[in-house]
Amino acid sequence: MNLQELNGKLSQIKDKLIAIEQKTDKRIFLSCEAEDAYAVNKFLFEDAGCRFVIATGIDSDDCFEVLYHFAYDQLGCVITLKAFIRDRQSPAIESIAPFLPAAEWIEREIHDLFGIDFKNHPNLRRLILSDDWPQGVYPLRKEVKK
Amino acid sequence: MGWKTWSLKRSPWVFHVNAGACNNCDIEIVDLLTPKFDVERFGIKLVGSPRHADALLVTGVGTKQAAIRLREIYRQTAKPCVVFCIGACACGTGIFQGGYHVAGPVDQIIKEVDPNAIIAYVPGCPPKPEAMISGVVKALSVL
Repeated sequence: MNLQELNGKLSQIKDKLIAIEQKTDKRIFLSCEAEDAYAVNKFLFEDAGCRFVIATGIDSDDCFEVLYHFAYDQLGCVITLKAFIRDRQSPAIESIAPFLPAAEWIEREIHDLFGIDFKNHPNLRRLILSDDWPQGVYPLRKEVKK
Repeated sequence: MGWKTWSLKRSPWVFHVNAGACNNCDIEIVDLLTPKFDVERFGIKLVGSPRHADALLVTGVGTKQAAIRLREIYRQTAKPCVVFCIGACACGTGIFQGGYHVAGPVDQIIKEVDPNAIIAYVPGCPPKPEAMISGVVKALSVL
């Protein structure tokens, strides 16, 4: 699949996306709302044939973001899906771990550090914070002071 | 000099504790055992249990999770023993100062168990193997 075919493939899920930004031949950014992230991730992984690299959590200005990074190795292209979680009080997003086990640990880590609830995650236990860390304190959130 | 100190100085067996290091200092410690530096010629030997050890080589900042284990390891080490803080993080928390996961520099954590602990510092990020050998020699010379 060359770049045009990949772009054609991505346009199949246009109705779920807010934007498609192609910065260079090797870097594509997609953005969507949290509700559509599961479907888009599933499409990227199963239909487009991308490889899951890692996910990132961000405490952004007015929302939480989860960035899912995928690689399309035939073209050396990295595709990043930004999912916006607008609800700051109880942030939640559908887990992609049921069909993509490689995402299990990074979702646990994001849950530890940002308190984002990954729905339908098979095992959302504490991963990297210490055992005596208080419940409900998420160290990478903006409101947490040093 | 009692026989305990005498035997400690002749052949210090060391136990390596990673208290949240990035692995850089740990690799430099492994360097010490390679033929180029070969600290076994001084009788310094890496052992697998703190109960066999005369010295602890502590790397890393001392995270909250590791601090509990570090105190327990210090309690289990045969006394007298020397604690070596290897690297900038162990000596004074380095770039992780004020981090949410930091329990304090390694010397503070050890002093909670034993205020009179013998602690030597080898700064660097990571310290050279030569610096570690020099630190061990200096620490043993003041015992």
